[in-house]
Amino acid sequence: MVIDFNTLYNFPSRFDRVFEDFLRSPAGESRRMAYPPLNLSNDEENIYVRAEVPGVSIEDVDLTLTDKTLVLRGERKTTDEKFFRQERQCGVFHRVVNIGIPVQRDKVSASMVNGILTVTLPKSEDVKPRNISIEVG
Amino acid sequence: MSNIAKRDEAGVTRYRPATDILERENGFYVYMDLPGVRREDLIIDLEEDELTITGRTSLNLGENEHFVEMQFGDCEYVRTISITDMVDRERIKANLDGGVLELHLPKVEKEQPKRISITAG
Repeated sequence: MVIDFNTLYNFPSRFDRVFEDFLRSPAGESRRMAYPPLNLSNDEENIYVRAEVPGVSIEDVDLTLTDKTLVLRGERKTTDEKFFRQERQCGVFHRVVNIGIPVQRDKVSASMVNGILTVTLPKSEDVKPRNISIEVG
Repeated sequence: MSNIAKRDEAGVTRYRPATDILERENGFYVYMDLPGVRREDLIIDLEEDELTITGRTSLNLGENEHFVEMQFGDCEYVRTISITDMVDRERIKANLDGGVLELHLPKVEKEQPKRISITAG
């Protein structure tokens, strides 16, 4: 063997496999299920959808907002070259996120930093929590 | 293969980042997915034959954010690659762009065999 990139000899990971069941996190589990992995969160102002899409530029991501869903579509391309090892997932991805509450459609923004896509969906004014002052008579 | 290698004491999950290794005419190329890792949080160490890449993600979440679903979080990426003597260690180049680390490992330039022409005396 001329080159050794640890392709065949992978001793430590055999141990890892034994312990994997104990250490398995929910994050790691869902990572295997769908691509890209998503984080869905919100604060008082916005709903945030974050996705890990390393190597994909924002121009290659297609975002569609319908009444109740946000659809993320894109493609990670690959090349026909001489691979010693190919682990990075490639191909077309498509994920649908259910957005339960109304958003201000014209103020939705998206950004891509270090391979993480963040879509910010501002909540509609009428679903924001409001303080109502009650006058005591 | 195991993607989750270990979990350290701080409770941060440690991952083996997905890696592509390929050969081109001018050497070997390594591509590693490191989403969320900033340039200043990435360490690349070359020790003898082992190239170790360590990166930490910092997602910087807002204070009042509530999670509905979380499929990735702060983590540490660790991966070690053995390299051969064919690689010119002095000229290894690394570039982090869009969450992907690209390493270029050029081959050692060998002296080209030269044919000596003989002139008739």
